[in-house]
Amino acid sequence: MKNIIKSILFVVILFILCSLISCLLLPHETIRKYGLIKTSSYEILAENENTIDSVIIGDSLIYSGISPMEIWNEYGITTFDVAKSAELINESYKNIKVVINSQHPKVIFFESNVLYRESKNKPWFYIWQELYKTYFPLITYHNNWKKYLFTNFNDSLEFSKINTYKGYKYITKTVPGKKLNYMKEVNKEKSISKENKSYFDKIYKLCQDNNIKLILISTPNMKSWNYAKYLGTKKLAEEYNLTYIDLNVNNPLKIDWKTESRDAGSHLNYKGSLKLSHYIGEYLYNTGLFEDKRNDPSYASWNKAYDFYKKNID
Amino acid sequence: MSYFSVLYILVFLPLVIIIYNILPKKVKPLVLLFSSYLFFFLYSKWLLIFIFLSSLSIYIAGIYIKKIEKEKNEKIKDLDINNKKIIKDKYKKKKKIILIIAIIFNVLFLFYFKYLGFFKNILNNILNLFNLNLKFKIIKHLAPIGISFYTLQAISYLADVYNGKIEAEENLLKLMLYLSFFPTLVEGPITRYNEVKDKIYAGQKVTYHSFCFGYQRILYGLFKKMVIADRLNIFVKIIFNYYSFFRGPIVFLGAIFYTILLYMEFSGTMDIVIGTGEIFNIDIPENFRQPFFSKNISEFWSRWHITLGLWFKDYIFYPVSLSKFVKKISNNFKRIFNNRVSSLIMGGIALFAVWSLNGLWHGAGYQFLFFGYYHFLLIFIGNIFEPYIIKLLKKLRINRENFFYKLFRIIKTCLLIFIGELFFRANSLSSGLNMMKIILTNFSFKGFNKVILSLGLDIKDYIILSFALLFVFIISILKEKQINIRKSLSKKNIVIRWTCFYALILSIIVFGAYGAGYTPVEPIYADF
Repeated sequence: MKNIIKSILFVVILFILCSLISCLLLPHETIRKYGLIKTSSYEILAENENTIDSVIIGDSLIYSGISPMEIWNEYGITTFDVAKSAELINESYKNIKVVINSQHPKVIFFESNVLYRESKNKPWFYIWQELYKTYFPLITYHNNWKKYLFTNFNDSLEFSKINTYKGYKYITKTVPGKKLNYMKEVNKEKSISKENKSYFDKIYKLCQDNNIKLILISTPNMKSWNYAKYLGTKKLAEEYNLTYIDLNVNNPLKIDWKTESRDAGSHLNYKGSLKLSHYIGEYLYNTGLFEDKRNDPSYASWNKAYDFYKKNID
Repeated sequence: MSYFSVLYILVFLPLVIIIYNILPKKVKPLVLLFSSYLFFFLYSKWLLIFIFLSSLSIYIAGIYIKKIEKEKNEKIKDLDINNKKIIKDKYKKKKKIILIIAIIFNVLFLFYFKYLGFFKNILNNILNLFNLNLKFKIIKHLAPIGISFYTLQAISYLADVYNGKIEAEENLLKLMLYLSFFPTLVEGPITRYNEVKDKIYAGQKVTYHSFCFGYQRILYGLFKKMVIADRLNIFVKIIFNYYSFFRGPIVFLGAIFYTILLYMEFSGTMDIVIGTGEIFNIDIPENFRQPFFSKNISEFWSRWHITLGLWFKDYIFYPVSLSKFVKKISNNFKRIFNNRVSSLIMGGIALFAVWSLNGLWHGAGYQFLFFGYYHFLLIFIGNIFEPYIIKLLKKLRINRENFFYKLFRIIKTCLLIFIGELFFRANSLSSGLNMMKIILTNFSFKGFNKVILSLGLDIKDYIILSFALLFVFIISILKEKQINIRKSLSKKNIVIRWTCFYALILSIIVFGAYGAGYTPVEPIYADF
């Protein structure tokens, strides 16, 4: 009996310690508004309601390639990357549903790479993942120790209150890529699976119902993107009468894969993301739908976030 | 289900412990057997049949050898010495045939799953060399998990029964559990039947003490893997995949980091394996003994993957060096040269066999063979020159026990190990050679500081790595000095003990290299 009590006490103290550390490492603003549970899964909930102009949905290509802070600095347009590594289309659908709870973006970009990703894991894996993310958010945010340790503590306290990257992951690593058949023309498109297409249909309807312009985008990706997938996405865009931005055929952004990729052509690094972010910012600016909010006092936190962002990347 | 996964540590293992503890003593070993087969099934599905066939084959062979032995004993009871010898030889031959058939049966599976592709390529290359328009094709199959490990265990069982070291087991379930015991299944250690047979089937209850002790060890393994190995993996992967973009010092740093990664991953796994054993009161042999304190390559291999080294020593080195063929060669040399040369040759031949097989055991590829021969040469050359070095040191009046001389030897050994591991990890033999070429011909530190910070690890990662390595280093020194840290800690009061455990758990959760931007190391030895 004594040992059972000791064991329970040990676990209880461990949970208390984890919670204390969580309070330090989790984004403060978000916790205040939405509590610990939602915070851990959706960073965008930290933003003030109806302040995001455009949301970019997708996988690691998005969080590696588009830096909302760069777009803010250049055009004063608020964007947010709602992206997860190896995201599945059903997760994208769920993410959009969460986004429109607190935001009303005019434009949603949807990374086409997600259309071709099939789930490899069993359903229980996702339930399990969701569970630990929900009830043990420290697992998701543990790496925030880098903001506190070996740095100026006062600075870092303030830093953690602001969502600095807006979903972007800052990676400077450079691993040159070389692929000879990148976007080599083929005649036949790669078809999208029935299940993924039905989820895309749901996404389309959700955007329509909420008066959101849905744009399909293929961001630069030399390794897993190809011409057949491009044709498949083009066909889908035509079918739904959507705008499709392709940034792979003929390399319109002039991505230098030797210096602007973090992993030999799969993802852009910081240098490459500057080009893509500039393109997205310019595109949004040219739609004429958005105002420059850099001097708007209600968006002061974005300017502050940019200062921290700049400080961090310098 | 990796040993490092939450699924194993927080779900599978606790469930097994609960079921194991609530069932009666007699059934407990069956719980372990069922869990082991379930564990195997989760990895390799219906390839389960192969581990069962191996168990069945050694069971039948063992029983048969025992029967022959019994028959022989009955027959020689009333015979004179000469007739005894004739009968003994006759039965020995019979036993040998059974042994060989059983070994071939087991090795064939291993060969089929692991080496067929490699030897097919060699054959095709030879045919190509002679411009023969023939090409062999085979369908590649996934190997049953742990086949390299359990096959060696099966062979050791057969050889020990043949040599009369152990009695043949009459309970098939015991042998099934011996080969498949889930903690040792994926990455070893390679246990011997007489070492584990009593404990593995004893059905001892999991106590509070054994539970705590076991999980302590598991935590230490998790720390080594998640804080150190997984963090280094980012750097190592880039260097080994894209070495041509880097200068010598960075490539060499990649080799050093890989060696540390390999040690942390493998020894971390062993901590989890041994810790799991401790929970069930089963003593699993240690596989590492502070290998980086070794003063020469031989010593290194007696401290690194100890059970594999001992297996090769007992079942390859001794049988080869004591074989008639080697003895004959050795005697010939003895006549021409002297005793030392002849024993060097005798040992050399056996060493060559050991390292050829050791290389191949690690993988079906030329780089693994090179890895084996590299160590063979280092050990063989070391053996040749050892007496001369001792003489030279005496002349120079250098004390071999001097701290600085020892340190020099340790550093020299480490450098040689880094080179060996570079070939071991290289994507191919030619990649390994090219990496060595870069190290030797392009050793410039230009841009070094900038490059090491652009390969996925920032300065804070390096700081955490340094602290973590220092922690493991201090523990290693204490172990080397025969200080039992866990025993000493268990004598401290609860506040100190729990503080240590919390510190370890929280450092894994917070400083572990997992999540976005990190790729955990795959179980390296599980592929062998």
